[in-house]
Amino acid sequence: MEEYPEELRTPPVALTCLVGCPEVHPLITAYLHSQQPPINAIALPDFSNIPVIPPKKSPTDTPSAPLAGIIKRDWLSKHRTRIPAVLAAIFTSCDLSADPAHWLQLCSHLDNLKASIRGRNIKLVLLLVTNWDNKDDTSEERILALRKRAEVDLKNLIIFVPDHEEELQKSLNRQVPIEVFGLTSIIFLKVWTVFGELAATYYRDEGRRVRSRLEKKNYTSIELYIRYCFKVAIYAEFRRDWLEALKFYEDAYHGLREMVGTSTRMPPIQRLVEIKAVAEQLHFKMSTLLLHGGKVLEAIMWFRQHTANYRKLVGSPEVIFLHWEWLSRQYMVFAQLLETSSPNDALYVPSTASVPEEKPTEWEFYPAYYYQLAATYMKEKNTCLEFALSMSVDVGPIDGSAESVVASAYLGQYSRLLEHEDTFIMQPLTDEEYAHYALAEGKRFQDSFEIIALLKKSFEAYSSSKAERAAAYCGLQMAREYFCLNDFSNAKQMFDSVANLYRREGWLLSLWEVLGYLRECSKGMSSAKDFIEYSLEMASLPEATGSVESFANGCGPAGPATHSEREKIHKEAFEVSRGELTLNSDEQNSAFKVNTDNPLYLEIDLISPLRATLIPLVAFHHPTVKPGAPSLITISLRSQLPINVEIDQLEVQFNQSECNFIISNGQKPQTGLNSNIQPGHRVETAPDLVLATNKWLRLTYEIKSDLSGKLECIYVIARIGPNFTICCRAESPASMNDSPLWKFENLLETIPIKDPGLALSGQKAIQVEEPDPQVDLILGSSGPALVGESFILPVTVSSKGHAVHSGELKINLVDTRGGGLLSPREEPFSSDNLHVELVDMSCDTPGDQSEAPSDNIQKIQPSFGLISVPSLGVGESWSCKLKIKWNRPKPIMLYVSLGYSPQSDEPSLQKVHVHKSLQIEGKTAVAINHWYMLPFRQDPLLLSKLKSVSETDQAPSLALNEKTMFIISVKNCSEVPLKLLSMSIETEEKSSACTIQPQQEEFREAVVNMPGEEFKKVFTIFPKVNSSKLKIGTVSLRWERGEQPHSNTNASQVTKHRLPDVSVELPLLVVSSECPPHAFLGSPFLYSVKILNQTEMLQEIKCSISDSQSFVLSGPHSDTMLVLPRSAQVLAYMLVPLGLGSLQLPRVSVTSVRYSAGLQPSTGSSLVFVYPAKPHIDLKPGDA
Amino acid sequence: MIVCLAVVGHENNPLYIQSFTESDDALKLHHIVHCSLDVIDERVNNPKKSSPTINEAFLGLLYPTENYKVYGYLTNTKVKFILVTTDLDIRDADVRNVSLLFFRKFHAAYVDAVSNPFHIPGKKITSKTFRERVSSIVKSFGLSSAS
Repeated sequence: MEEYPEELRTPPVALTCLVGCPEVHPLITAYLHSQQPPINAIALPDFSNIPVIPPKKSPTDTPSAPLAGIIKRDWLSKHRTRIPAVLAAIFTSCDLSADPAHWLQLCSHLDNLKASIRGRNIKLVLLLVTNWDNKDDTSEERILALRKRAEVDLKNLIIFVPDHEEELQKSLNRQVPIEVFGLTSIIFLKVWTVFGELAATYYRDEGRRVRSRLEKKNYTSIELYIRYCFKVAIYAEFRRDWLEALKFYEDAYHGLREMVGTSTRMPPIQRLVEIKAVAEQLHFKMSTLLLHGGKVLEAIMWFRQHTANYRKLVGSPEVIFLHWEWLSRQYMVFAQLLETSSPNDALYVPSTASVPEEKPTEWEFYPAYYYQLAATYMKEKNTCLEFALSMSVDVGPIDGSAESVVASAYLGQYSRLLEHEDTFIMQPLTDEEYAHYALAEGKRFQDSFEIIALLKKSFEAYSSSKAERAAAYCGLQMAREYFCLNDFSNAKQMFDSVANLYRREGWLLSLWEVLGYLRECSKGMSSAKDFIEYSLEMASLPEATGSVESFANGCGPAGPATHSEREKIHKEAFEVSRGELTLNSDEQNSAFKVNTDNPLYLEIDLISPLRATLIPLVAFHHPTVKPGAPSLITISLRSQLPINVEIDQLEVQFNQSECNFIISNGQKPQTGLNSNIQPGHRVETAPDLVLATNKWLRLTYEIKSDLSGKLECIYVIARIGPNFTICCRAESPASMNDSPLWKFENLLETIPIKDPGLALSGQKAIQVEEPDPQVDLILGSSGPALVGESFILPVTVSSKGHAVHSGELKINLVDTRGGGLLSPREEPFSSDNLHVELVDMSCDTPGDQSEAPSDNIQKIQPSFGLISVPSLGVGESWSCKLKIKWNRPKPIMLYVSLGYSPQSDEPSLQKVHVHKSLQIEGKTAVAINHWYMLPFRQDPLLLSKLKSVSETDQAPSLALNEKTMFIISVKNCSEVPLKLLSMSIETEEKSSACTIQPQQEEFREAVVNMPGEEFKKVFTIFPKVNSSKLKIGTVSLRWERGEQPHSNTNASQVTKHRLPDVSVELPLLVVSSECPPHAFLGSPFLYSVKILNQTEMLQEIKCSISDSQSFVLSGPHSDTMLVLPRSAQVLAYMLVPLGLGSLQLPRVSVTSVRYSAGLQPSTGSSLVFVYPAKPHIDLKPGDA
Repeated sequence: MIVCLAVVGHENNPLYIQSFTESDDALKLHHIVHCSLDVIDERVNNPKKSSPTINEAFLGLLYPTENYKVYGYLTNTKVKFILVTTDLDIRDADVRNVSLLFFRKFHAAYVDAVSNPFHIPGKKITSKTFRERVSSIVKSFGLSSAS
């Protein structure tokens, strides 16, 4: 766009001219320029400068003379810079009031002025500059006279008062609304308005004048029509009437289009050049107007039309390059216009109504698209130019005939400038001369850089809009251009990035071409490594599936992508690698030869494109192996190179370097390669090492490793010839995947290893196991553990075949049901919450070995322990004891692992591990139970018992001030006999609340409690306080295992059982029956029932007695009686037994009416034993 | 006139590409086909920008190059067909109908080719029958558009 003149690129601005009184010029021009729309002004200081304005030529309406051209080259610039629309003559008031001589001069100036603008319709304005002070001094007559002389309307005479200089300046600088300021500003505004109006009138009149000619069809040739249209459009642009401008530009354009076939005015080549130049200018104007008006779609459609119209008009073959240059410029300029004017979002505004043809596609909105095409045409031009230059050998750089050719007065025309007797004569050119000139001009420019610049723009634009393939294509073209310029490093960089995309998406032919270029680039840069790499990659590309494409030419330096070509490249690469061929770039004389000083080393990793050239798969036949035991390993190699490759030597490298080995080719003498063989390393010989195309070369060997751990194959290194090495990273068959280039090929699938299972799952690494341990680890188990005791577990390490060095014993306690040993959601390491904990580890250090304690690592955590084992010789043993405490009953798993090294010299390597585990149950030793009992034949009536709904919820109720018994029973739940040592009750509250008998009892001889047995002990309790919640205390039982496995830790354990709280209350009534324990047949005895009323109320009691066959009784049979408060009533019966043995007494039932509570004595409590006669033993009192 | 036909797979890899020109611009056609994948990507990823015909398999004109027009077609299995023609002067509506018809026929041929039990899905199409059938379709369209 920059090559266009300024006046074409910017919208035209009205032009005025100021003459005279130069001191006010800067103020006025600055003001006019700053307004919207602006007005340009030419400032002429003196009236003598008037001839600057070009005089109007006499109209050349002679129809006989043919028109010399379509549009004059300088017509627009003339109207924009030299021919004003308004001419302002500026006088001072002094000029007016001066003497007559002065006045006369003024009048002559004015006349000159009028004469100079005569015929041009330029508007005249008078400006009278006067001082503020003598503003009114100027005589009216003089002004009138001046006006008359100048033939100017009153409104076009402006009296100008530039007095308030500062204020004026301020207003000009700030450009604030003019009303704010005083008179001067108003005058300025008036000047601008008047100028603007007059200019508009001028341009309208001019436009109309030309237009009338068009309307009257007052033109003789199509050239004139176009010129008139152009002029009307320009005048319309001056008036900012964009629509009219666009219309007339279009008319002109269409007119021009008609001219193409019809005009005969000039020689054909130059005629076309002129037409295209005019068309270019017209189209540029239209595009600018459309794009600035936001009509992107229309602009694109116009552009499409434009290029379609002229694309075919290539013109004469010798200057065909001019056409391509022209077309390229169209695209470039449109791209620039699109780029500068696009407010991106408005791009997709649908305005399909005006576009009946097919809509532009997405890319036609991108400047990148146009830049790319501009570059393409530029390239075309370059090619054609080079061809044209080669055809005409006589075009020298310094050619007088070409030099004197200049652009002529008409747009798109050139002519010879002849100097003839001090005057210059323009002589028209013949087509031959013009072609000659064009060639000479074309030779001067380097097109390549321009092409690269265009492509770069396109590349960047495409990249930023994520069109990576289009960007890659631009990159490819750019790289080709760099390549043509022998700029190999830039070219290589671009080609490399493009090649990556083609590799990834598997575009074979494109990749072939790029690689061909890259090969040449590396040749040019004398890089043998790159050359070989690219050559090998090309040689091992897949066959382009037999289609015609593969034989296509035009693949750049690589030649057609055929099998024979690949073979050629292959051979060449290997010749270079063997040093038989010197890599020689044509341009630089730096030859590069592979020899012992410059060996060649290629590396192929997992992402290298050279994987197709050589891929090594390594598979161990087994996943694990014992140390020292042999394992099979298969190395499979495949190459896609078109010709067989013979490898001289293969080296297989592992992470354990002592396993590395070399496979040498039995067919070849290993001269020059023996330097690679390190002494002591294993060398195998294979019958041959020849890689055929797409065939696996399988080599299987045995391998041994003495070191346990992972054995992994890392590299397979192939040596071909003395100076060529390919180092490939080993791959597992299981994880091999083909590159995108090969993935989609319809290729015969071959498996790398004969065993198909191994081919799918083989791994390049093997796990070498530990040697078998020869040390016993014995966990001495002694049955279940009991809660509360410290359970002792002996661990013995006894060596059977290995010495133990730097041994370590690890102990882990694990819940058998998984999870830790902590009760859930409780804080760790607070020993209360631990169900099971490892308390201690003690080892009996052998007396003769006094090891420093620092060597003995010992670490204990609740569920983990670590202890170091002293060095043991073969046959020795060592043991330690673990002390584990159960706080709750829980089964656990005990894991003990011993790690040791059989040799004392390398403690860090090669540890052998022995693992043992043992499940241990933790059981509760004893279960303690209790219950309460009332004294014999005594029943208190407790109110709470009457009310109680459910007995279970209630705490047991005891009667106040009555003796109650309770029984503690101890049951052995374990499987071993236990010895009970003592039992005691610790009361919690103050002793006055109740008394318990006995408080503590040490068994004189330990009670042996066999498994399952129950041991009972009776206590009495006498509550003294009326309380609903009486805490009684805790039963403590001290016990120990009946038979101690380890007598030295004979510790007794205490099991505690808390007695539940009881409620104590005063009994309302107490019924106690009394009766002798035995009776004699026939002899009467007294059976009395005593009812004690402890309330403050009179109690009505109903009582009855049932008859019994075994007794004869006397007493009230059925009665109701009243018991006075706090007193007792006794029912007395006299009974005579009639039977023998244990007899049931007659049942007495007592019912309290108030409480509706009755008492039925239990059968057990109403038995009496009847003897037949009194025994003949004299029972003395106190003898029982 | 149809100058090039391509079937492009999921990873934008060419599955089948055939050009019908005498001259040596096969490589250039490869590039044109490859670049047009960008337009397909954009059109498929930004459906709102393009016409409501997105639900159709026929993608329409992808982009005009200096000498060619490129049309696209996307099958249900996301395999792309790309057609490069030199019919620059035909009105869009006609081209649309003709190319749509062409793509339908070509699609049928493609489906038959990949239904071959010996064809591995995702691999390049090497079937000779397919090639012949495509050539005959192209030939019939070349005649019809010329007449």
